[in-house]
Amino acid sequence: MLACAALPLAAQTVRPRLEGRVPAQVIPAIDSIVRAAAADSLPTEPLVQKALEGGAKHVSADRIVLAVRLRRDRLEAARALLVRAGDPPPVTPLKVTAVATALSRGVPAPTVERVVAGLPGSPHAAALQAVADLLAHKFDPDSSAQLILDAARLGVPHERFPDVATAVIHELQRGSTREGALAHVRAGLPNLPPPARPTPKAASDAKRPGAAPPR
Amino acid sequence: MTHIDPRVHEALDGERPLESLPPDLRIEADRLLDVAALLAAAPAAASVATRVMAHLAEPRPSRLRRLAQWIARPQAVTFHLRPVWSLAVAAALAVFALLPNGGPLALGPEEGIAQFVLPASGAHSVHVAGSFNDWRPGAIALEDRDHDGVWRATIVLPVGQHEYMFVVDGERWVPDPNAGRYVDDDFGRENAVLIVRPSSP
Amino acid sequence: MASGGPPDPEVVARILGGDGEAFGIIIRRYEPGLLRFATRMLGQYDAGADAVAEGLVRAYRHLASCRDPARLRTWLYRIVANRCKSYLARRSSMEVRLDDAPPIADPSDSEAMVERNEQMERVQRALATLPPDKREAFIMKHVEGLSYEEMAHATGDRIPALKMRVHRAREALVAALQEQEVL
Repeated sequence: MLACAALPLAAQTVRPRLEGRVPAQVIPAIDSIVRAAAADSLPTEPLVQKALEGGAKHVSADRIVLAVRLRRDRLEAARALLVRAGDPPPVTPLKVTAVATALSRGVPAPTVERVVAGLPGSPHAAALQAVADLLAHKFDPDSSAQLILDAARLGVPHERFPDVATAVIHELQRGSTREGALAHVRAGLPNLPPPARPTPKAASDAKRPGAAPPR
Repeated sequence: MTHIDPRVHEALDGERPLESLPPDLRIEADRLLDVAALLAAAPAAASVATRVMAHLAEPRPSRLRRLAQWIARPQAVTFHLRPVWSLAVAAALAVFALLPNGGPLALGPEEGIAQFVLPASGAHSVHVAGSFNDWRPGAIALEDRDHDGVWRATIVLPVGQHEYMFVVDGERWVPDPNAGRYVDDDFGRENAVLIVRPSSP
Repeated sequence: MASGGPPDPEVVARILGGDGEAFGIIIRRYEPGLLRFATRMLGQYDAGADAVAEGLVRAYRHLASCRDPARLRTWLYRIVANRCKSYLARRSSMEVRLDDAPPIADPSDSEAMVERNEQMERVQRALATLPPDKREAFIMKHVEGLSYEEMAHATGDRIPALKMRVHRAREALVAALQEQEVL
């Protein structure tokens, strides 16, 4: 009883979320992976999401279990990276997930460490998103990380780091070289073009996703 | 629709002299020619030559090749790809922060708006499924209100990073070609990555 | 429509023979008209530049499929027109963002410049109300000066259909302009 009470709520309720959504034969295995992750203080929601995704995409049972295990391994690696980088505790699920996502999007581990170490105690998600966006446009990891760290140092608020990346990419599209694009944006910091805003029509059209359909 | 005398059309098509038109019709023809002349004024353009030649000198992005190969498989539906280096359309799909005084919806500080768009002419239904709705394939429907083959939905979502794909005709999972950010789904495909930003302070 | 320099078939042969740099001649020769076409089609300078850049990259990669290099110009218009139509299909709303279009009048005459820019804005808004095929037909015929025969090559449509489309485009444009004046 006491052991159950010590588990996070997500681990306690994972079976009901999986029933009817994934092949019945994988539920015990996934439940076991999630409980172990919870006991190890790793985030469990990404694991449940990966299982639900596999079920929705009609992936084979083996592949679902494999993907959930792989994601668990990545979360563990992400947490180890945060510790190595000296990120001040607590190591929150949000931080672990942000690092794991950056690694999945191809940001090299040393670059992630550098960004985390360069922003002690700050949220990392936006900084890592911005670096990943630049890498997706073939900017090199070191220059990308340096630009974001410079932006932080010059007072750009963390939620605007993706705008830094967007500004650089737009410069590239206007015909700059990559070095030129980075230099141009750095020279303007902390000033940035304003972020995109929804049109009034978009704002009035927005609706909330409906409640989950009854099973 | 305004009717234009056929003689005006003939003159503008070069099939009769402008001078042969009676004065009232001549005015109509001249007006259209003035409009054309205005549009013909070239924008003070910076050349795209550098950008084009630089792009041709680079090896093609492997992500584009992988996506193109996925499209070539028989189950793909028709949609339009653009080069990875162009964010022009991705910007149109970016998730926005709401202005504090904008929109009739009362959004919380941890909510934002996402606009989903998929050109899919020939589809009978398009839904979006992702980490924001437990990957339920039938829950969030896009609409093609003007029947131009382009499906759209504008949805309130929690702040943060989300992965998603489109589901066409209830069964075909399609990556968002205009997302600009992707991550392997560990099932052999790529999910689009969406970043929902918090409303401004 | 080469005005000076080697004729298009010769440049195309050079490029296909391995002289990629010669594509720069094609770009310089046709880019101004293509930029004007795309900018008028999309109502935005940045989007027009993107469409032309993407179109030129595509043209280079598929140059061997240009069956008649003497009609390279209309072949390029076909490619850029398709890029414009793709962009229009993807765009979530039809708003015309003219604030990113550079001014067009002589900057030394500021009053005339203001008036001309206002006229341009009205005309561009009216043009944006036309469906893409009619907009394209009007711009090709009256802005880019293509003959019906050249338009047939650029669009793949037959001349009688193109004539009808241009006629309807003229009527729709006049109606849209009259509506603006009433308002």
